Amino acid sequence: MIALDHPTAGVLRRWHAAGNLRLADLRFDPAPECLALWDFVLSEEDRLRAAQAAGGFIVGAMKDLGTIPVLVAAIPRARAFYPDGAWWLPCLQRQSGGQLAAADRLGIGEGFCPVRALLGCYAAGSDFPSPDLDICAVGATCDDFSAVAQRLAGLGRDPLWWELPAFRAPDPGEAAVTLPNGEAAPAVLVAAVAAELQRVRVALGRATGTALDDLALRASIRRANQVRARVREIRELALGAPYSPLPAVELLLTEILALHFCSDLDRCLEILDGVQAVVADRVARGVGHQPADAVRVLWLNPVADLRVLQWLEEAGGRLAGTDFMTAQAMAPISEDLPPITALAQVALCDRMIGSDRRRAALAVAEARPRGIETVVVARVPGASHGCSEGPAMAQAVATMGWPVVSIEVPVVADAASGQIRGRLEALLETALTRRTVRP
Amino acid sequence: MITAGVDGGSRAVKAVVVADGRIIGRAVRDSGPQPALVAEACLAAACADAGLERAAVSRLAATGYARAVIPGADRRVTEITCHARGIAALLPGTRAVVEVGGQDSKVIRLDPNGRVADFAMNDRCAAGTGRFLEVVAARLGTDLDGFAVLAGAAGEPAAISSMCVVFAESEIVGLMAQGHAREALAAGVVAAVAARVAALAGRELTGPIAFTGGVARIPGFADALARALGGAVVVPPQPQLTGALGAALIAAG
Repeated sequence: MIALDHPTAGVLRRWHAAGNLRLADLRFDPAPECLALWDFVLSEEDRLRAAQAAGGFIVGAMKDLGTIPVLVAAIPRARAFYPDGAWWLPCLQRQSGGQLAAADRLGIGEGFCPVRALLGCYAAGSDFPSPDLDICAVGATCDDFSAVAQRLAGLGRDPLWWELPAFRAPDPGEAAVTLPNGEAAPAVLVAAVAAELQRVRVALGRATGTALDDLALRASIRRANQVRARVREIRELALGAPYSPLPAVELLLTEILALHFCSDLDRCLEILDGVQAVVADRVARGVGHQPADAVRVLWLNPVADLRVLQWLEEAGGRLAGTDFMTAQAMAPISEDLPPITALAQVALCDRMIGSDRRRAALAVAEARPRGIETVVVARVPGASHGCSEGPAMAQAVATMGWPVVSIEVPVVADAASGQIRGRLEALLETALTRRTVRP
Repeated sequence: MITAGVDGGSRAVKAVVVADGRIIGRAVRDSGPQPALVAEACLAAACADAGLERAAVSRLAATGYARAVIPGADRRVTEITCHARGIAALLPGTRAVVEVGGQDSKVIRLDPNGRVADFAMNDRCAAGTGRFLEVVAARLGTDLDGFAVLAGAAGEPAAISSMCVVFAESEIVGLMAQGHAREALAAGVVAAVAARVAALAGRELTGPIAFTGGVARIPGFADALARALGGAVVVPPQPQLTGALGAALIAAG
């Protein structure tokens, strides 16, 4: 791991000089491909502004995590991005950007999820260009986000709302389909989501002047599947290898790319190819950035302050399972079904639209084969998503005996660093103690 | 082998010297602004209490918030692990430890072997912590020891609804103006904090429950906690030394 002042980290120093002061507090994977990943993520504003200046059509895809960008990518001159991602800006910028203060002034204070930072961006025209169209999912989504989006609408934006219903298992005898994540879902639920996505498809075509035919959609799905497959490969290698071959923060960035391709699907694939090659090479050589006996952790929820993931690693832990709210964006989209139906099915793989018990069960089932020893539930302050997974997760893993710790991670965790680090260390100590009592 | 444990807490530093698993020296000091210096002085005092020179201690383990800066430690271990280890030695068979410290509260669930199964701690604010009690004590015109006396002398506790330290102060001022006795207010605060800590436990705690940390010395707190948790609560002798004892035992290997 290298710091910002390392000779090879020049690409990141540019972003530090541009105001992302918190980069100086982080450590980075030294591989050029991983530094390129950082550069790709941090350069999204430039990419979006350049695209808009060149006549591109910019779509802010909010709350939906991974589906709408596939529709948008089917339109040659359109690019989708993820305004919700603004929640990382105050952290990277050490809050100097003023996004949260702007949200405060708009009546969305610190009692709300840090995604409220996007309000400041919209109000100031900073950090991303004003989208030509806002598309926002509502329904079984985060209440905090709904409040933020409603406030955004109150500012004169006119989002295209679409509804993502709550997930439920099929009733006995009810017609059902199997989703890409293996779950059964009522056919009527898939049909309802498909109807909503069809409405979005028509509206997108109308707004851009480009009708979205099945041919274009299928092509977009194929490319999105390439991204998803690459992210899954990296993730499997990173989480499953004996020596952790990719640091936690870089893994988080990789998973985030699956949500919206950082508004450039082709470049996104190149970046992922590079990271995948690095990780595969490390796995083949049996090298990593953590010792083989690092405690294997299942981590729920992304963190605003990225240092928290590095604190875990510094304390002797490593990620062996994640639920960064990206599962639905990594699920393969069927290339055999009608495109809208296929997209509806992956949208329902979103673990956040059902009960906390469902989410915990899915996360545990996926991570269990990797020898998980402990679970960290990182709560997002104010967010109605992720607020209750601690007890649900504790219940889900009770028979396995994995200790669970729930921590709240503020946007900037300086004041809480002692408490958070102490909890992570105590969790790892507990896991190590448990190793000694195994038969 | 003679070992020692130093618990650098947010409000007090505690040191214990142990020989063959038995406490032979102990000391407690206010943390102050320089915990490293206080820790050294506290350890020296514990050694003196044992009739030993510092050099007689062959291994030292540090715990608590200041564990990273305590000089000369061979091991640095979190207070979660140390309280569990300490209570396993003091009260074998215990299945849960409640520790109310200066700036946080903890509920530690133990497995049948006395090892940590999992734990929960308070987030964000001072609610349910020793610091909260100190602020309330000051509002009642006393210190923590005086608060303990007041709480122990109460008949019916007053109802305290706020756990925000600022709002609780305001509420207490209002209740005092209404004529509530200081004793009733102190007992009311104890009951409210106990309920808060019990809520932290989340799931039902089974088996013997121990109460450690400096706040456990407050008369009536263990009873309030027992009522809130719905089970018997045992306070070990000198409960604020439990973490330091655990550290000393861990230092011994």
